[in-house]
Amino acid sequence: QLTPSSFLRIGQLSNVDLNEDIHELETEVPRQRPNEIPHNEKLLSLKYESLDYDSSENQLFLEEERRINHAAFRTVEIKRWVICAMIGILTGLVACFIDIVVENLAGLKYRVVKDNIDKFTAKGGLSFSLLLWATLNASVVMVGSVIVAFIEPVAAGSGIPQIKCYLNGVKIPHVVRLKTLVIKVCGVILSVVGGLAVGKEGPMIHSGSVIAAGISQGRSTSLKRDFKIFEYFRRDTEKRDFVSAGAAAGVSAAFGAPVGGVLFSLEEGASFWNQFLTWRIFFASMISTFTLNSVLSVYHGNAWDLSSPGLINFGRFDNEKMGYTIQEIPIFIFMGVVGGILGALFNALNYWLTMFRIRYIHRPCLQVVEAMLVAAVTATVGFVMIYCSRDCQPIQGSSVAYPLQLFCADGEYNSMATAFFNTPEKSVVNLFHDPPGSYNPMTLGMFTLMYFFLACWTYGLTVSAGVFIPSLLIGAAWGRLFGISLSYLTKGSIWADPGKYALMGAAAQLGGIVRMTLSLTVIMMEATGNVTYGFPIMLVLMTAKIVGDYFVEGLYDMHIQLQSVPFLHWEAPVTSHSLTAREVMSTPVTCLRRIERVGTVVDILSDTSSNHNGFPVVESNPDTTQVAGLRGLILRSQLIVLLKHKVFVERANLNLVQRRLKLKDFRDAYPRFPPIQSIHVSQDERECMIDLSEFMNPSPYTVPQEASLPRVFKLFRALGLRHLVVVDNRNEVVGMVTRKDLARYRLGKEGLEELSLAQT
Amino acid sequence: MAPLRCLGWVLMPALALALLGLAAAAGPRRTPALELAEELAEELWSAGLPGDLPELEPECRSLLAAFAEGSAALTDCLGRRARPVRLCQGCHGHYRRLLAQYGSIARAVGNSSESHNCAKSILTSDRLQIVVTLSEFFNETWEAANCANCLKNNSEGLSNSTEEFLDLFNKSLTCFEHNLQGQTVYLSPNNHTEVCKNCNETYTKLNDLYNHLQRMNRQGGESGHSAHLCIDVEDAMNITRKLWSRTFNCSVPCSDTVPVIAVSSFILFLPIVFYLSSFLHSKQKKRILILPKRIQSNASLVNIQEKYS
Repeated sequence: QLTPSSFLRIGQLSNVDLNEDIHELETEVPRQRPNEIPHNEKLLSLKYESLDYDSSENQLFLEEERRINHAAFRTVEIKRWVICAMIGILTGLVACFIDIVVENLAGLKYRVVKDNIDKFTAKGGLSFSLLLWATLNASVVMVGSVIVAFIEPVAAGSGIPQIKCYLNGVKIPHVVRLKTLVIKVCGVILSVVGGLAVGKEGPMIHSGSVIAAGISQGRSTSLKRDFKIFEYFRRDTEKRDFVSAGAAAGVSAAFGAPVGGVLFSLEEGASFWNQFLTWRIFFASMISTFTLNSVLSVYHGNAWDLSSPGLINFGRFDNEKMGYTIQEIPIFIFMGVVGGILGALFNALNYWLTMFRIRYIHRPCLQVVEAMLVAAVTATVGFVMIYCSRDCQPIQGSSVAYPLQLFCADGEYNSMATAFFNTPEKSVVNLFHDPPGSYNPMTLGMFTLMYFFLACWTYGLTVSAGVFIPSLLIGAAWGRLFGISLSYLTKGSIWADPGKYALMGAAAQLGGIVRMTLSLTVIMMEATGNVTYGFPIMLVLMTAKIVGDYFVEGLYDMHIQLQSVPFLHWEAPVTSHSLTAREVMSTPVTCLRRIERVGTVVDILSDTSSNHNGFPVVESNPDTTQVAGLRGLILRSQLIVLLKHKVFVERANLNLVQRRLKLKDFRDAYPRFPPIQSIHVSQDERECMIDLSEFMNPSPYTVPQEASLPRVFKLFRALGLRHLVVVDNRNEVVGMVTRKDLARYRLGKEGLEELSLAQT
Repeated sequence: MAPLRCLGWVLMPALALALLGLAAAAGPRRTPALELAEELAEELWSAGLPGDLPELEPECRSLLAAFAEGSAALTDCLGRRARPVRLCQGCHGHYRRLLAQYGSIARAVGNSSESHNCAKSILTSDRLQIVVTLSEFFNETWEAANCANCLKNNSEGLSNSTEEFLDLFNKSLTCFEHNLQGQTVYLSPNNHTEVCKNCNETYTKLNDLYNHLQRMNRQGGESGHSAHLCIDVEDAMNITRKLWSRTFNCSVPCSDTVPVIAVSSFILFLPIVFYLSSFLHSKQKKRILILPKRIQSNASLVNIQEKYS
């Protein structure tokens, strides 16, 4: 069952100059595709639009740019630096807030449960402790999940895929709103306190981005406050630069890794960089980690110490035992292989789970119930593991935050409890730094196994939470196990600290799951504070990525695909040279004339079946002998502002004192332009004419029909375009290439494959 | 003891070289090397070169002697009280005296015109600086044992809480002994119900007091630094706990495995029910396909795939 309009459009092709055989093919192939299909990975959603990274160079813009003199440009430059400093400070403060609240709430929870367990160990009735723990977890997670599922679903997950898409040029609805930030921060706190196998580091990146997007605009649409500052930056191009600074500041606050943050932005997002931007982003990152550091130092009572640069500190790795020798490098590479395989397994399992969730668990209530169940099961698994473990270790000072005695002798604690009965960050640090012999191999093995499945199950729930820390934790556990068995196998001849292997295992596992390379190496290096680890960590991450990529792709890319986002990779698919612009483009194109009737514009904009955002403007020629050549390109948002301000030719003639529309009017409406339905156009006004020549972009990028797909792709990707007009040799509009037209070609297992568009 | 002995070895030749009169006080163990060094020093001394080898002032010499005696006494005390650990209780007097002696050397009470002469010649005039090393060693040991924690603020005597704890500790030990009379500890490992029953009260009190002390300590102290109680208290508690739960096997927690298994399997069962029911009852989300407006979308792809596969 096809929509009638699409048939009509195909019928209209006759006015386009085409070859005969294409026509035949078109009519021959009967299109008997099902209208409704279950969700799968080979779809592109119509929900996502592009961002306008190419600024519209219309007359208004040129006039404004001409008015700004040299000194004014310098002010703009200073403003950029000020904004970056503010991004850094605010991101650092948000990170502090999250850290302090999580520490206190989680401390409270663990104390309550510990007291309860201690009480019932003596008297019997530990099942009540289990129930208490599970209920506490489930109820905290319930709150966290409810706010995400019902108020702002885009705050779910780590937010890294979303930010990656945003920097790639895809407009994800609501992704950089203040509301999202609030939900994200509360959601992260609640899910970490709720004891899920999650971390608070990934969401910091999203939080930083939202902060950046908010500050750089100098106003909040959600709060309806406009501070009348930074108006120059109210467009997608400028905002994107600040968002990449925010993402970098987020990484930097999360791991205490300013350089890693900059490289993260570069690796994950950056399509469009220059050196000054890098320097500014680095500044924002540094400010962010410094703010976090100083505030946390004051909070911990040693004000001038500056000892906590990130949300997670891996601790010092600089004593002699932690050094590595050249003989150990093959061992590290082997660990990289293991990490790659385990990471691929993680991703594959998570893929199936996410697919199931998208298909069947799409109602918010079900999502909340699922999150609660996961929380309860996490607590139960932890409890059962602790209950069954007979691995007792003597208490040494206060190295263990919440020592659970349970069935151990007095003065000893259950070593499984240090891993499960703790926030994941602390468990990671314990695995890195506890002296050899603190864990027996059985404990570590069981822990790795259980935590692997829990973390895999947890990622993709409707809670805001990251996957960095769980991956590190899994990796640290098996890495430590590996270190212990290594020294056992070699009869202790390798005097290696298991902590070192725990670190390498953590790097391998994280690399195997997220497949980041450069930035992750630097992040790990900065988090350990040891530059000499750079080389083995790099090797481990490289191996993990190579091995992992052999099986499945990285977790973030996988989730981007499952969300049907039209994501453009660095290059066009390698086998796509035979495709030309003519085959790629959408056609026919809805064009507007340079002087167009208002009624037509309104009708085109209100047509729900073709929700276009850019319209080529052609010469308005009443004379049919002349060809309607391309004159410019106008965006839906611009048209809406024009209609709202009623910039009609007749009105201009009638009323000369009417204010000329300025670029500011367009900026004030950004980024939430009102829908066309909200603009009232009377019957009389429909007959008026509208002159687009002043507002359209007179020099849109065009390609001829014969351009190959890689060429089109390169142009599109490098310039961050949203619309690319395809013209014939008479400068007549033949088609339009948009992001979805390019993103639908993908290199699959059997060569080039094409994704279908779908309404989601 | 190992570090002490090492220090002793380092110390002896140096002392012998610098001040032959005191060599006898350094210890009873004499080696040929030591004798040799002593002879050498004597030779040098008899050569009489006052400019190169300035004589130690008598005040300084007596200070040094006092320090040497003090450190010997402290070493002796530490060694004797190593097991069971009674360092802080037994040696705090020695330690305090030694501190004072070191202080008076450092403050250089000499009546010569150069008033810092004594401090300079004893503490800093050679590479080894053995007096400083020794004093540092004692300080570090004292710090590591965290003895300050169970002494009064002016470090004269044990603090009240420590006294209380040690009283209780002795009481429980007496209780153990009393109840174990007639049977050997190792004879019947599971047959100590008598002890467990009779001493439970004292033991619980002791345990509670220890936990209380620990909590107080953690609250009062800065993070990390003084997380430990002093070694005497810790060791005493460790011994008691080991006796109690390992040797007497008194702390047998109730293990209620059946309810725990029941509750946990119930909770673990819930997700299965949830996923099955949502799989069976929830309507699968369908996507509505939109046909793209394109010249030839199927045909071109077929072409490509033929070409490349």
